[in-house]
Amino acid sequence: MTAETAALVAPRETARRIPLGWLWSAALLVLLTFLVIYPVSMLLLGALTNTNPVVDGFGVLDISLSNFITVLGNPNVHFALANSLIACGGGTALAVIIGLTFSWVVVRTDTPCKRFIAAASMIPLFVPPLVAAVAWSILASPKTGLLNTIIKWAGIDFHFNAYSMEGMIAIFGIYYAPYVYMFTASALRNMDPALEEAAEVSGASAVRILFTVTFPLIAPAILSGMLLSFIVMLGIYGIPAVLGAPSDIPVLTTYIFKLTNWSPPLYSTAASVAIILMIVTGFLVFLQQKVVSGRSYITVAGKAFRPGVMKLGAWRYFTFALAVIYLVVVVVLPTLALIVAGFRKFLFIRDVHALFDLNAYSLIHFQRLFENPLAMRSIWNTMEVGLITALFGGVLAFSIGYTVNRTQATGRRAIDVISTLPIAIPGLVIGVAYLWAWIGLPGGLYGTIWILALAFIARFMPDTIKAMSTSLLQIHKELEEAAWICGKGLIGTIRTIVLPLARPGVIAGMTLLFILAIRELGSSLFLYTSNTMVMAVLLLDYYEGGNVGITSAFSLVQTALLAVLIGIAHFLSRGGASARVGGTS
Amino acid sequence: MTNRITRRQFTTGAVATAAASIGLTRAEAQNFGGNELIEAAKKEGRIVYYTADFTEPEQVIIKEFNKRFPFVKVEMVRAPGGQLITRIKTEAAAGKLLADVVNHSDRGLMLGIKDVFQDYAPPNAKDYRDDVQVAPQLWPKTTLGWSIAYNTELEKNPPRTWMDLCKPEYGPKKIGQVVAPSGGTTWTRIMFERQVLGEDYWKKQAATQPILYPSGAPTSDAMVRGECSIAVLLYNIAYIKKKDGAPVDIIFPSDGVPLNYYAAGVTKASANPNAAKLFLNWNMSDEGQAFHIKELGYLTALKNPPFNPPGYDPKVVKPWSPKFEEYVKLRDQWIEEWNKTYGYRQ
Repeated sequence: MTAETAALVAPRETARRIPLGWLWSAALLVLLTFLVIYPVSMLLLGALTNTNPVVDGFGVLDISLSNFITVLGNPNVHFALANSLIACGGGTALAVIIGLTFSWVVVRTDTPCKRFIAAASMIPLFVPPLVAAVAWSILASPKTGLLNTIIKWAGIDFHFNAYSMEGMIAIFGIYYAPYVYMFTASALRNMDPALEEAAEVSGASAVRILFTVTFPLIAPAILSGMLLSFIVMLGIYGIPAVLGAPSDIPVLTTYIFKLTNWSPPLYSTAASVAIILMIVTGFLVFLQQKVVSGRSYITVAGKAFRPGVMKLGAWRYFTFALAVIYLVVVVVLPTLALIVAGFRKFLFIRDVHALFDLNAYSLIHFQRLFENPLAMRSIWNTMEVGLITALFGGVLAFSIGYTVNRTQATGRRAIDVISTLPIAIPGLVIGVAYLWAWIGLPGGLYGTIWILALAFIARFMPDTIKAMSTSLLQIHKELEEAAWICGKGLIGTIRTIVLPLARPGVIAGMTLLFILAIRELGSSLFLYTSNTMVMAVLLLDYYEGGNVGITSAFSLVQTALLAVLIGIAHFLSRGGASARVGGTS
Repeated sequence: MTNRITRRQFTTGAVATAAASIGLTRAEAQNFGGNELIEAAKKEGRIVYYTADFTEPEQVIIKEFNKRFPFVKVEMVRAPGGQLITRIKTEAAAGKLLADVVNHSDRGLMLGIKDVFQDYAPPNAKDYRDDVQVAPQLWPKTTLGWSIAYNTELEKNPPRTWMDLCKPEYGPKKIGQVVAPSGGTTWTRIMFERQVLGEDYWKKQAATQPILYPSGAPTSDAMVRGECSIAVLLYNIAYIKKKDGAPVDIIFPSDGVPLNYYAAGVTKASANPNAAKLFLNWNMSDEGQAFHIKELGYLTALKNPPFNPPGYDPKVVKPWSPKFEEYVKLRDQWIEEWNKTYGYRQ
């Protein structure tokens, strides 16, 4: 068995080992077909027709490119696409600056309280986009934002405007910086400092070393984080819906949402827009792979080392202050805004004095929230679906990541391409595709928690695989080869060599998947039932119901729950997840 | 002669006991479908309710229904109009429709799926207006009326009519509007504006540069917060805010009140048809409709409303509802024109 499984790693060795490698690839491809190809085919079919394949059947399909022609000729789609690219491009640039800065500060400098900074850098991941946007609309609405009310009271002639392109870029940037941080902190920690030391001996300055040696060495991590954050932003609905709508700045996701909400809904058009989004993203993925391919980024080898720490002197307080400011901006201010909105009967605040009128505060929104039986059920369902997604999705993502990056298994390129496909499909559209695809399947999957979990696993597979692959890419093959020489089989090598070394990345990937599943809204909308209602859907219900008070109260509950759960996960993994990725150990 | 109780006597007795146990007189039970229906609903014990209306008012309704009938657990799925219809169509086509009861704001879309619903009529069917039903099995459980709401802290001279909303003093960016493509309810208002207020109404109103919102809920929230001081809103949305003590007042414009009737029915696939009928019967009853009006600010399609919300006198405010054929036929073209007039990118 051991010898046969090694066929996955080196199938050319013997002909008789090939069948097992082939079988393994075939099994993965079948699974991916079920999770990705089949629903995406339904989406494509939807884009090429004006019918619902489930309702109208396959016999009456009238295949044509008319939806694509209509969409491509529509100036409003061009406008939404341009806005998407500007908002996500700007947001990504900001996310890279923030994420890279903090990962460097945490891993490679002697800034005080690095554990605190590491934790702070990951907190925005807990915050659902809709919640972040609602909080910032409370803070920085041009007319009634709390910050603007205070600025006005202070007599300063300035105001923030969250309802603008700049506002969206800023919110995207600060809330998606953790994606960049996760990748780059891990890479910086696992880096062999020999090259930096060589540069230092040659007389290069610290800044020069940073930009000519350190950052280029972790280029795949930066690129992966950058790409992932850009693509995730492209698929976000909550932030542009709350901040873009009042200023009429549509992006592709809000445009797609509008199409699905139309009476009658225009799903075929929405599917066409989604396919265009997939093509744009597919091109970006291709570009990233071209940039990364042909270079060696191995930084973990069979030699022990410890990355160097730069002594910043007095500047260490400056880097610490940066972290504090970031924490205030992404956590303290939005949380205060949610507390004000969640506890205040109404959010009309005439001036600063009215803000401190205690008579205006009550527990009414929390009472109403928990009077609704759906609230507790949605919390339970969310936890259940998050756990299932993280466990099963994590195993699948590791299997795919290992097969693609560490083996010569047959069909691994196809596995790579197929598993990357869902990255470009907005959740809302993926929800429709999965509804169409899976509702007709026998086995009673529809209406269960499992259909949600499978949709989340498929939807976030590229994110999870990328998170795990970064760790795998950095492990030199010589370590596995040493294990084989010592008689270990493939499973044994993975268990004793690969998994322990890749553990931070694997746990980070699973934690990321758990968080993404808990926050996921779009693909839940079509798949939940009265028994499987999740928190994100109920939160949107409250928001759409125009009750910012209950929305804020529920947001606080959700944020607190997430923080507790991540804390438990962190404790159980003994330094896995965020601290391993971003910690100082 | 024996004293043995027949099966029929036993059933009657059990039903009477059941009705008595929930505090219903025989006459009251008849209003909701009779004792046998109540007993059958009790055995089923639950329904799945699909609705396009908002979560919060629906939860209030369910809570009130459960005061009468605590043994029926109502499990709700709420989704916006277009999404809900897609879900129903797809589930029905796959033979997996989970809903027992559906309540939707767009009668046009509901007409398209009327075959999904079974024959049903509430006990007080004859008390309802005939002109608001698009199919015999679909009933106007919910009725909404458009109004003008304003923030009383910010607006001391509010508009009283729709035509007032064209006055330059209410612009720019003072009025919050819901965009025309938002759904069937808004489309009703758009039709009213064009057919009653005149073909140039949109142009005059758009000149005040209103803030456009995707739906009524964020519009009401923005008005309460002071982002806009005036909002064109469904009365019930603003009514809940006012009832809770927000600085809001509401006016039914004297030049007409566009009304939108929902369509609700019991599905053929219903696994709990008796509980489903009981739920709809209670909602359609005088008691249910009175609760809708008093607690939630809805109107009613009853020929003789139990009462009207403050400021709504049908003799003064001229209620208006669209002709159904036009409601379906004119939609696309007029909405496109509205989008152009208001500079809304669709």
